Amino acid sequence: MIASLSSEWLKIRTTRTIFWLLLALCAVVTLFVVAGILTNNKADLTGSDNQAGAMGIGILAAVIALIMGLIVSTGEYRHGTITPTLLTTPSRPLVVVSKGIAAMLLGVALVALAEVFVIAELAAFLPIRGIGFALQGGDVARVLARTLACAAIWGALGSSLGLALRNQIGTVVGCFAWLFFAEPIVQGILNSHAIHSHAGRFLPLAATIGVFADTTGHDANRLSHLGGVFILSGWLALATVAALLLLGRRDVS
Amino acid sequence: MRANSGQATILGQRYKELERPFCQVGAVLEASGFHPGRKARNHLRVLARAGRAPETRVDEVLKIVGLEGAAKKRVGAYSLGMRQRLALASALLGDPGVLILDEPANGLDPEGIRWLRDLLRSLAAEGRAVLISSHVLAEVEQTVDEVVIINKGKFVAHGSVESLTRSVEGRVRVRSPQAAKLRKQLVKAGLKIDVDGDALLVAGGPSSQIGEIAAKSQVVLHELTPITTQLEDVFFALTTDGEK
Repeated sequence: MIASLSSEWLKIRTTRTIFWLLLALCAVVTLFVVAGILTNNKADLTGSDNQAGAMGIGILAAVIALIMGLIVSTGEYRHGTITPTLLTTPSRPLVVVSKGIAAMLLGVALVALAEVFVIAELAAFLPIRGIGFALQGGDVARVLARTLACAAIWGALGSSLGLALRNQIGTVVGCFAWLFFAEPIVQGILNSHAIHSHAGRFLPLAATIGVFADTTGHDANRLSHLGGVFILSGWLALATVAALLLLGRRDVS
Repeated sequence: MRANSGQATILGQRYKELERPFCQVGAVLEASGFHPGRKARNHLRVLARAGRAPETRVDEVLKIVGLEGAAKKRVGAYSLGMRQRLALASALLGDPGVLILDEPANGLDPEGIRWLRDLLRSLAAEGRAVLISSHVLAEVEQTVDEVVIINKGKFVAHGSVESLTRSVEGRVRVRSPQAAKLRKQLVKAGLKIDVDGDALLVAGGPSSQIGEIAAKSQVVLHELTPITTQLEDVFFALTTDGEK
């Protein structure tokens, strides 16, 4: 397990894709934080709670982890590296699990990096507007825990979906089309007065919002933080089973 | 592709049941299993880690296959021959006792083919089993000790190169200005004749017998050359017979 995991981690680190995605993550995080500091009202930037809210941009790391999970797994088929991978690690469940854990670790690392950037930028730019840096451990831990959970699960989800679906461009485009186009529509239909099922909250993006977003009051269309983690883990389990079944049927040639 | 029945074993076990398969069996199944954006050395490090082979072997095998100077190049910039060498380096990484190579000479230049032949012979001389799958029979003939002939997925023959070439009847190339007369005499002696341009290809007897028949018949010969049986001739003889 350690050998396979270490190999998967090295795979992630040794292509230029991760470098460009890291660069994009840092650039977008910087842009959002600096723009937020410069444009928001002073009152919205004062206090630990408000400043921890700025750390929410770290959720972008989950998107990067998802992309990276998808690219690394589908890349195995695209470049034919699945053959040496299965020759060195003939246990296919071990390959699926190792890739999933490596993608989870990547998600965690990306969130850590993004949040360090956010905190450093808050510390550097808030005084320019005459606002004191007031972040406190409790608020940081709250945002960090939610963001880490989302990024870890999304990374592993990307990895398993990639192994199951194989086609790189199709899988990446399909995932984004689902998350940012199809799911909001499906959610809207399920939550509409005509159906009124609240089942939309169990969809992947809705469950992620449940994990990540601050809950104020009862919202029947939104899961609790723990409920969101549970449902997202269910989606991950489903994708992992699909990857195990479909990879198990593949011939090495 | 799925087996209709049976199972393949190596060292008495199925591949996935071997304790450290990568260090017991080195395989090159295709020369395209590389991420083009990854450096060759990193490609081997990835495999070494997963296969539990020491990472110190990475530089050793790069040297063996002559890629030490290109180790830090991305594989996308490699030629087909360099990829073939890198694939061979991957197979050697675990220092295995058994090597399984599918068309290992693919993409190599003549110098590279000779280098590969010498390398495979030296690996076999170290006591390793080297199994090569190839359609380039002329190259196979120069490299291997034993041959297994498979046609359309079915076993046809197995033996040393020498025993297989001996098993197929040799032919003699004969040219004569009196070809028609000679042909008549050879057929009378029970020999089989094919025509190749202005020459006769005679099977069923050695060149000495053909020479004697020509002398007795007072036929002038311009050529009397025994044709060495190649592995390719053996393949066609065995597979064509089977199809008839």
